[in-house]
Amino acid sequence: MTWTFDLVAGPFKGRTGGLAWDGSGMLCSVVLEERVIKFDPKTGSADNFRRYTGRTNGISVAADGSVFAAQEGGRRVIQFCPDGSTAPTNDLLDGKHHNQPVDVTVDSKGRVWIADPWNLQTPYGPAIYPFLEHASVLRLERDERRAWKLRRVTSDTRGPRAVLLSADEKTLYVADGDMDKDGGPCTLRAYPVQADGSVGPVQVLHTFAAGQRGIEGMCLDSQGNIVACTGWKKNGPGPMIMVFSPAGAVVASVAAPADMPMRCAFGDDGLGSLYVTTGEGQLFRCKDSGHKGAKKA
Amino acid sequence: MSEDISIDLAAPGSERVAEGELPFETIATGVVFGEGPVWDKRNKIFYFSDICGNTIYKWTPGVGKEVVLTPTDKANGMCFDLEGRLLVAGWGGRTVWRFEKDGSLKTLASHYQGKKINSPNDIVVRNDGQIYFTDSPGGMLNVGMVGHDLQKYLDIQGVYRIANDGTLHLVTDDFVYPNGLCFSPDEKVLYVNCSRERVIRAYDVNEDGSCGPGRLFYKYTHPDHGNPDGLKCDVEGNVYCTGPGGVWVHKPDGSVLLRLKLKGHATNIGFGDDDWCSLYITMIGSVTRTRLKIPGVAAR
Repeated sequence: MTWTFDLVAGPFKGRTGGLAWDGSGMLCSVVLEERVIKFDPKTGSADNFRRYTGRTNGISVAADGSVFAAQEGGRRVIQFCPDGSTAPTNDLLDGKHHNQPVDVTVDSKGRVWIADPWNLQTPYGPAIYPFLEHASVLRLERDERRAWKLRRVTSDTRGPRAVLLSADEKTLYVADGDMDKDGGPCTLRAYPVQADGSVGPVQVLHTFAAGQRGIEGMCLDSQGNIVACTGWKKNGPGPMIMVFSPAGAVVASVAAPADMPMRCAFGDDGLGSLYVTTGEGQLFRCKDSGHKGAKKA
Repeated sequence: MSEDISIDLAAPGSERVAEGELPFETIATGVVFGEGPVWDKRNKIFYFSDICGNTIYKWTPGVGKEVVLTPTDKANGMCFDLEGRLLVAGWGGRTVWRFEKDGSLKTLASHYQGKKINSPNDIVVRNDGQIYFTDSPGGMLNVGMVGHDLQKYLDIQGVYRIANDGTLHLVTDDFVYPNGLCFSPDEKVLYVNCSRERVIRAYDVNEDGSCGPGRLFYKYTHPDHGNPDGLKCDVEGNVYCTGPGGVWVHKPDGSVLLRLKLKGHATNIGFGDDDWCSLYITMIGSVTRTRLKIPGVAAR
């Protein structure tokens, strides 16, 4: 199986990160350049969508057109508002600053699911606040006064790198593992989302070999499969794009276009193209994967 | 020698500033990130802010610390104007503001060329009433130190002057992260430090308050932890800067006279008490003070 990846933007300084299709273009975090660009498939241009973002990685478009972003460097999730301002959310979990969020996804209720691992890169400002004793999936939701509440969702993760919801939002997929801390093994995990918003018992869909880089970013295709960026040149089968069925079967596995594939998202007409970011700072597009993106709930 | 404070890197002449064992008094605890130290000569009270704690305090000898205002939108540096009103570099709230005599708060600067400024960090007043402040970007990024809008709109990190007619003027856009600032005793030189480039720059001040081009005054290369932050002068023109490992004292030519080596992390300094020979040091976690031999330039 061969997929054709075309370089559509970059390479930029450092890694590229989060991706989100906003209906007309692909938003892409250029993490270390501290900006989010928007690739326009009609013109092929990649202009600034938002500057001065801090070290922002995962991004997700909300129903009102605002964009939520995991600002690793600021240890917070921020909201790029349509008026050009940037709002903070609630970065305190039971009064303590959470870790360094790397991925977010907004659900149909406007709740923001967050992958909140530890990270080697130093956060902004004086080191006053220790990290949490756990690295979990968290979730922001509004209370009756529209203020953000932050709650912990998972209690069995070691270093969540990516969060994804099934199309019916009844399953939470989590890419877990901390290569910096303990070398894995990394897993792809599925949790039933219960009516009260908590999650039920985990089902581990896939376990990567010890020392092998697990999933850094993932997205959903129209069949409910999980398309995932994984692997590296350092060891194992190398940098790959893998496709998992909802039950965890490996549906496809292709070579990634560059080392350290980071995050992926579907875009273009009919969500027919797969976009991929990399540790080498590129934005790639694949038009012939044979997969289409799932429409957001 | 005290573990908390000691003299090192001493050059000839340093004994004029300090020698031997120095007193070290913790005057306030329960502070997350102390800043904005300023002595109120009219009422003999010391004011400081806690950025992360979102509070401005006053401290009275024999009484202790009392809340003046909370929340403050993460207030940072402070000073008095010629009328004795407390001015605030409103870091998280992204404005410069003033306590009016009736207790209300008045915004003095919020936008430059139509765009919201960054996060005012520190502030000083010239003898003609003009207000100078630094506008670093940390109040939009630092963990636990931000306000309600985290978007940076300006492409510069300026040092600004608020003229007496209320207009805002750019003094310089030389900086990556302008932080502390102070005048020489004769106010002919404005010193500004940069926390990122670890430098102090000096600017000749013109009659109207505008400034000439900057020149390098000192660049820190010391491996100790800490970057230039607070900046003040004594009456002999020596320049005091919280920097790597403590408070550095420079001669007017920039060379190092001594360092007050500190165990804790100093953020800013302010001279105080009737003789202006006490050095108040705001720190991460506390506010302390010591005694020096040359008076500092008096706060307004």
